[in-house]
Amino acid sequence: MNWIDLSSNVFTAAFFLYCAAFICYAIAVAGKRWSNRDPQGHTARWGRIGFIAAIVAWVLHLVFFFARWKGQGHIPTSNMYEFMTFLAMAIMFAFIVVYLIYRNSLLGAFALPLVIIIVAYASVFPSEVQPLNPALNSIWLRIHVTTAALGEAFFAVGFAAALMQLIRVVDLERKDKVGVRSRRWTEFSLVAIILIVGFLVSVFGFRGAGYEASFSQETVEIADDGTVNSQVNEVTYSLPPIVAPYNSETVDFQAFLGMEKPLFEAPSWMNGVNAGRKLNTVIWSVITGLILYGLLRLLARKPLIAVIKPHLMDIDADDLEEISYRAIAIGFPVFTLGALIFAMIWAEIAWSRFWGWDPKEVWALVTWLFYSAYLHLRLSRGWQGTRSAWLAVIGFLVVMFTLIGVNLVIAGLHSYAGVS
Amino acid sequence: MLIQNTKCECGHQNPVGTVLCESCGKPLFEEAAGAEDAPLEMRYDGVARRSQKQNPHLIDRVWNFFSSVKIAIYLIILTLLGAALGTIFQQESTFINMTTDEEFAAYYKETYGTAGVIYHALGLSHTYESWWFRGLLVMIGASLVICSLDRVLPLYRALNKQQIRKHLQFITRQQVTYSGEVAGDETAWVESFKKQLKRRGYRVHQDGTALLAEKNRFSRWGPYINHIGLILFLLAVLGRSVPAWHMDQYLALYEGETRQIPDTNYYLKNDDFTLELYDESELASNQKGKAVPKLFETKATMYECIEACNDPTRDPVLKQVEQHPIQVNSPLSHGDLKIYQNSYQARVRFISVNVTLTDTVTGKAYGTFALRADNPERVYEVGPYTLRLNDYFPDFGLDSESRPMTKTRDPNNPAFAFTITGPDLLKDGETYLYFPMPNEESKAYQAILNDYYVKNGQSSGKFAFKVENAMSGGKMVNVTFSEYTTFLNIRKDKAMPYIWVGAAISMIGLIMGFYWQHRRVWLRIDGGTLSLGAHTNKNSYGLRADVAWALARTGIEVPPKSLDNRRNLR
Repeated sequence: MNWIDLSSNVFTAAFFLYCAAFICYAIAVAGKRWSNRDPQGHTARWGRIGFIAAIVAWVLHLVFFFARWKGQGHIPTSNMYEFMTFLAMAIMFAFIVVYLIYRNSLLGAFALPLVIIIVAYASVFPSEVQPLNPALNSIWLRIHVTTAALGEAFFAVGFAAALMQLIRVVDLERKDKVGVRSRRWTEFSLVAIILIVGFLVSVFGFRGAGYEASFSQETVEIADDGTVNSQVNEVTYSLPPIVAPYNSETVDFQAFLGMEKPLFEAPSWMNGVNAGRKLNTVIWSVITGLILYGLLRLLARKPLIAVIKPHLMDIDADDLEEISYRAIAIGFPVFTLGALIFAMIWAEIAWSRFWGWDPKEVWALVTWLFYSAYLHLRLSRGWQGTRSAWLAVIGFLVVMFTLIGVNLVIAGLHSYAGVS
Repeated sequence: MLIQNTKCECGHQNPVGTVLCESCGKPLFEEAAGAEDAPLEMRYDGVARRSQKQNPHLIDRVWNFFSSVKIAIYLIILTLLGAALGTIFQQESTFINMTTDEEFAAYYKETYGTAGVIYHALGLSHTYESWWFRGLLVMIGASLVICSLDRVLPLYRALNKQQIRKHLQFITRQQVTYSGEVAGDETAWVESFKKQLKRRGYRVHQDGTALLAEKNRFSRWGPYINHIGLILFLLAVLGRSVPAWHMDQYLALYEGETRQIPDTNYYLKNDDFTLELYDESELASNQKGKAVPKLFETKATMYECIEACNDPTRDPVLKQVEQHPIQVNSPLSHGDLKIYQNSYQARVRFISVNVTLTDTVTGKAYGTFALRADNPERVYEVGPYTLRLNDYFPDFGLDSESRPMTKTRDPNNPAFAFTITGPDLLKDGETYLYFPMPNEESKAYQAILNDYYVKNGQSSGKFAFKVENAMSGGKMVNVTFSEYTTFLNIRKDKAMPYIWVGAAISMIGLIMGFYWQHRRVWLRIDGGTLSLGAHTNKNSYGLRADVAWALARTGIEVPPKSLDNRRNLR
């Protein structure tokens, strides 16, 4: 067995162990009131089991990382698959650090799903080893990418704690506008997470079933020098096409549930090669996510926040806020160093300028400014508690947009990150 | 602002705007009724800031505006939004071959439709060069300076002359508090508590049965050091607009070519360009069949001109100063100058050839001479004959009247016009054209034009130019070509050291401020009752742990959480 095979096998094992660790945490939180047990002892015991499982999974994750490094000869942080797996590993590390400070094992019940989702998301991208682009052949690939991801990982832990805090403090009884609004938004943040799960379920579901449809799409491009190029691209869908690419002909279409042809075509402004396919994926994620959410609601017969909140009552909301703030405070200098300073040093060496307003650079700056605003706002009265928790949640959305959204939507110089 | 009596009951005269007495710490005015035992606002230790002056003048007003953290946050958020807007569509600065506003307007309309027209009209297509974005950055700079000065000086004074015995209210209204009876000897308890705090790294000051314990005060300066670094960084960024500090040039060099770096005394030679591709077996499945570069590199030599630099009649005298294989992640640097690998282009160019002059009839070789594309020699002696280079067309073509001319100065299709003199030739010498490029077009031109010279009586057609053994073992011999043209970016940026120093200072400040926390514990014993208050700017969890740890070792067992004054109220 070579290093690459070893690494991918270990990775699968790590993924299932992460899931097992999450189940242990869920039992620790939810099983407290099961009969014949001492609630505190139960939580401590299952929390410990969960933590040990998570640590073992993380060690396997490390083995995956170093085996792949050894196997391919360069650090596995050079495309989207490798970066996302690294980010998940960094989030686990940040979780362990925060756990060692605060010994709050229930944080794992929120940090682990995040890790699992990110690992699963990474697997959406091709995991095949790719040779290194000469532009990335630098020691700074190791230094910049890892430090930036570590900073972002602490923001992720801050997000997990903030989300717990929001659910913990949400008032299920309050009837006035403010109460309804806070309930709605907290529930909505859970729905958003379920939509991402919906995305994963639809991608892996149809991939497992081997679904494929393809279109030929004509794109007309005007080059910088004014020449008009018309190009015909083949666009392959791995999800049943509800929406066809703009200006395209169907080449091959497997019928799905009686759907014989696309229901409509993407609008004209979505004329990028993959824009139609991305829109289709978004639609599928929403449909699957909403079905999942509907099923969960049917099972629970109440909002999800009302399901989770009672299990969090033993945790102090102030502790959660403290954890969230502290995680962000630990992450901020690391992020500054990795995503801005090291990035500038590498850009100076490779691209001859330390800053060039490339979209990825700009969004790293936006993230940094956002968290600076968060840190300053916390000095002001009235911005602690729920409001700062919301800021921590939004901040993590900005982080994720910087990492994924920029590559999917905007591109720019960092576009060689292997997104397909 | 209401005129307040700012004299505290302890007799200390405080400046206007003071929240907590500078000396004993007693709260000077209550913010809200019913909040009498709410935790105190301990920001900047409750001292008055410059911006809280009465009767402000214009300068004070400007000062007050920028000294507000709220304004700073607005500025941060506006900058954030502005920066994000600039990423919606591609920025103008990324298009190398467009310059005029009309070109840009047309491009945005064509590419993005109505949204593009609006985007361009609003000036968002050059967000980062716009006056308003630059203005925001300058205002953030002003805010950094003024916010910091406004707070750091009073804070420094307050922390530098702290009273040990604080007002009871000051102690009981801290974020971390404890009060209870002390069993046994008070002085002995204070001594042992002092010892415990010292073990935790606190510096303890004592005044009878009152204590002030403090650690990591330096972390309070972290934010200000960070701000100094950021100011230096922003100033360095502004410094980059000084023209003499900055240079950004591109140079295209084919293999073997030497060129002067514009506006400098330096010359750069492309000794060799190499492009290595990945092996088919190394590629991922979606890359098979594509040419994926593994490495591209320009072996470059840098020369400095030491003589005849600005003399058009003489060739400059060059001295080698630097030699370096330039790669994407490995620029050549010499002093301030840095030379980067930007890109490359596959373009065949002729460099030199060893030509053999032969007899068309007998096939006899008279001799071989070397011919260069760059600065070819004027005269060549070959056997008994003398060849004079009359004309050189680097990029041969015919003008509208079918006369030979050169289309560009680049040796894309060079042609050499010789006059040959020697024994048994025409009296005035014979004219020949030689095309070294082995392509159809060149060879056709060569044949037609040399025939024309024969018909015109300018030539006897005696000679032919040949390259002997042009190919040997699959390699070209006697001919050298440049396969690639390398594009290099030459940069000078004198602001860079300041940028890095600013970033380093900022980082030091961030680490000081975030990874250590300033912790203080005050306590006093009044008639057997211990009152303890403690404060930190960050991480009150750690502070509570410290206090509970020290209390536990002096006979008072309390859970750390119960010390939290804020929690008990909420």
